[in-house]
Amino acid sequence: MTEPTRRDFLKLATTGLLTAAGLVGLGGLIRYLDYESDPAHNTVIDLGSRTQYPVGSRTVLPDIPAILIAEPGGFNALSLVCTHLGCTVEQSPNGFQCPCHGSRYSADGAVQRGPARQPLRQLQIETTKDGRLLLHLAP
Amino acid sequence: MPTNRSNTRSGSLSPGYNPVMRPSFFNHLHPPTIPAEQSRWRYTLGAGGTGVFLLLVVAATGILEMFYYIPTPDMAAQSIQTITYLVPLGGFVRNLHFWSAQALIVVSAIHLLRVVFTGAYAPPRRFNYLLGLGLFIISLLLDFTGYVLRWDQGVQWALVVGTNLIKTVPLLGNWLYVLLTGGSELGLATLIRFYAWHIFGLTLGAMILTVWHAFRVRRDGGIAVPPPALRRDQRRISRHELARREVAAMLFTGAALVILSATMAAPIAAPIHDLGAMSGNARAPWFFLWVQQVLKWGDPFVLGVALPLGILFLLALLPYVLPKPASAELGRWFPKSNRAAQLIVAIVSAGLIALTIIGRLSTP
Amino acid sequence: MRRYLIFIGAGLLLLSVLAAWGASARGPKPVELVPTLTGKPEYCLTCHGDLPQISSSHPIKTFGCIICHGGEALALDANLAHSTMRGGANPSDLTVVEQSCGGSQCHSGSAAEDRDHIQRVMRSVQSTYSGAIASMLYTFGAQPDLTARYGMHAVTDDQITTSTGVAELQAFNAAQFNNSSVSQFAANCTTCHINAKPNEGAEYARWNGCSTCHTPQAPDQTAGTGGKVHQLTTAISYTQCNTCHNRGNYDLRTMTFVPRTDQPTDRLHNYYQPIAQFTQCEYKLDCIDCHTRTEAMGDGDIHSNKIEIQYIQCKTCHGTPTQLPQTKTLMDPNDIAFRLADLNVVAELNVGDTILVTDKGEPLWNTRVLPDGTYKLISKADGRVFIFKPVMGSGCTQDPSRQDSAYCHTCHAIQR
Repeated sequence: MTEPTRRDFLKLATTGLLTAAGLVGLGGLIRYLDYESDPAHNTVIDLGSRTQYPVGSRTVLPDIPAILIAEPGGFNALSLVCTHLGCTVEQSPNGFQCPCHGSRYSADGAVQRGPARQPLRQLQIETTKDGRLLLHLAP
Repeated sequence: MPTNRSNTRSGSLSPGYNPVMRPSFFNHLHPPTIPAEQSRWRYTLGAGGTGVFLLLVVAATGILEMFYYIPTPDMAAQSIQTITYLVPLGGFVRNLHFWSAQALIVVSAIHLLRVVFTGAYAPPRRFNYLLGLGLFIISLLLDFTGYVLRWDQGVQWALVVGTNLIKTVPLLGNWLYVLLTGGSELGLATLIRFYAWHIFGLTLGAMILTVWHAFRVRRDGGIAVPPPALRRDQRRISRHELARREVAAMLFTGAALVILSATMAAPIAAPIHDLGAMSGNARAPWFFLWVQQVLKWGDPFVLGVALPLGILFLLALLPYVLPKPASAELGRWFPKSNRAAQLIVAIVSAGLIALTIIGRLSTP
Repeated sequence: MRRYLIFIGAGLLLLSVLAAWGASARGPKPVELVPTLTGKPEYCLTCHGDLPQISSSHPIKTFGCIICHGGEALALDANLAHSTMRGGANPSDLTVVEQSCGGSQCHSGSAAEDRDHIQRVMRSVQSTYSGAIASMLYTFGAQPDLTARYGMHAVTDDQITTSTGVAELQAFNAAQFNNSSVSQFAANCTTCHINAKPNEGAEYARWNGCSTCHTPQAPDQTAGTGGKVHQLTTAISYTQCNTCHNRGNYDLRTMTFVPRTDQPTDRLHNYYQPIAQFTQCEYKLDCIDCHTRTEAMGDGDIHSNKIEIQYIQCKTCHGTPTQLPQTKTLMDPNDIAFRLADLNVVAELNVGDTILVTDKGEPLWNTRVLPDGTYKLISKADGRVFIFKPVMGSGCTQDPSRQDSAYCHTCHAIQR
């Protein structure tokens, strides 16, 4: 094999430099695009006074969507977002059913059937000093 | 020259199809050889090619900005502040977009002057000269619409005065104003229309004209040269050498743009809250400073609409009305045969530059 | 030639790209705050993170910065960020106070809910300077009586509640009077109303607008903070009032201000200028321990003289030989006295406490009626406690119908 000439070295070096510059550019592009210009800020929702939700009631909150379960021991909330692909599940005789692809959940959110594999997400309920309920959407 | 690849294909071939010669896209853009004398930097200044590169940079950075820019009066300036200060490298992308755009105008002007001063608009290149003029006007309009999209107090002068200039057109003025601004008042409709023109309407025009202009360069025989018998230097360079020069130009231009964008920020100002109350300085963007100066002297239609159109018309007519540059004298600067055109363009350019400088130095 | 040009170009490009990346990484990392009242992100804390919270009743997590100051919430460049700030460094300047401190949720608009400070201050004598202007114009023949017609800014009042209230004041413009004394008054004597630029000198240094009183410490240009004090308080010391009051006197003949020339070293001598007469209370307490909110900020009416609004007397706290001072036992937890007490840490006020009240019913929330019939006052500025007895049952030979302070001074004035 003949010795690499100056021309070959220059060509290799130039390719290297251009590749490096390209990679830096690509990195910059990824950083540029990876910015959340409008992140969700309202992750705590005021549900009002706890007296509105008597013990034993199950109240669907359609705007969130979630269901608030008032038990003797305290409040529980389940997200009504299907864990398969995000449709809103509907109530069924023994739990919940998703109209999009047929996933079925029991009344406490566990998966009974269907393409969904994870149970419905538990959401945290906080009771304030003056008896208001706060729903925390963020995990 | 035949390619090295094996390029026979099975299957039926249409008549006239040559299976040996299959020019690639690169080959379409670059003839096999071009005359060495006229491919020197000091002949063409590389202005046309640099212009294409700048156009590509401006388009790419513009697309990136579209990911964050919001074209409503409440959010436009805010979204630009988001890009400038909060998005990682957002300020850099915005600066790149700004500087490559301004450089495009300057480089296009240099290219126009080069073409006139070397007589390169002589037939068969006259139509291509018109295409180039059209491209230049579209570039100016792109610069102006982009400027307005900032929707901050720095652009209020240009927005209000520029759109009001349209109203001065006799008979059609008010109708043209509504066409331009989307209503009888400046507002959301105006911004949306300027946005639509900037990212699509004018860009489409620029792309089409650029491709056509480049195609015509090739079809008209490449860079203007004297006929072979009259050439002093018969040497030629290969398409690969041409490509190498183009790459070198792009690398240096790119580096210069990056350094400029990393060190000098694009202008920005506080958002417009009330279009009626013009606060801040009443200054035109630099490329219209000459118009602002001229408007101080008299009737807005005559000086602000008719005069610029007149200059454009004059430039467009040059190749058709004035004596043609002799083909023996092509390929060099300042041939004697089109002195008149050179003088006219030199005087007009000097005037525009002088007015721009006066405008820049005077207090608004 | 060509080949290594490309190499150089590539190297240059790589270097410039790396330099650009480095330059952008070196900027300040944005610090975001999303105040609960606005819900919109703001980035002031990126540069101003070490600024103290302005007051416990304006917590930064609730208010943020922009809601009071204006400015560009997203900008990290100082010039752009500050370009739309209201009132420069002081958003309470009276020219912008309605947008900064006002609004239906804040200190403006509702007299019933006691949230009309801005309307009251704009009409108050301390802002309009109506008394000084009226007296001066009357004295020099420019108006027929002492009813105020002019103020330092124009203001109107369509809801007059007192018998002395005036419907409007026009902006005082000395030029229209063509009177040298009036012009000199305008030139020499208008630096002591709430929105005036104070005289040069540390003893006069103060802010404008609400901050005239409520931002402590004078903006001292030699201090490390460059004169910027970021604090709102109701614990206002007498030194704050003394940036205008007790600074000297007017010479009406020459229409000039004659500053006091003494160099006091203690509170007794610093408080009042040498010609003044005052009792122990009047220098040991701070001004606001006696002078009420209505006196300082007005009652919403435009008055022609401070006499019409100043009504505190010694007897308000001490009573007369024949009458104990008026008191009130606080049974309603929504009483404004509790709100006032909450703003100041010096004393805790509880439901069931009995406090002194003024003739107009203003609660003196920093006082207590003690079970043994004595009274306690806690200084609003620094919490010092004073116990005092009522006049009734003492050896005081006061005439109950003569309650001007001059009468009390006859016996009780301090010898400096």
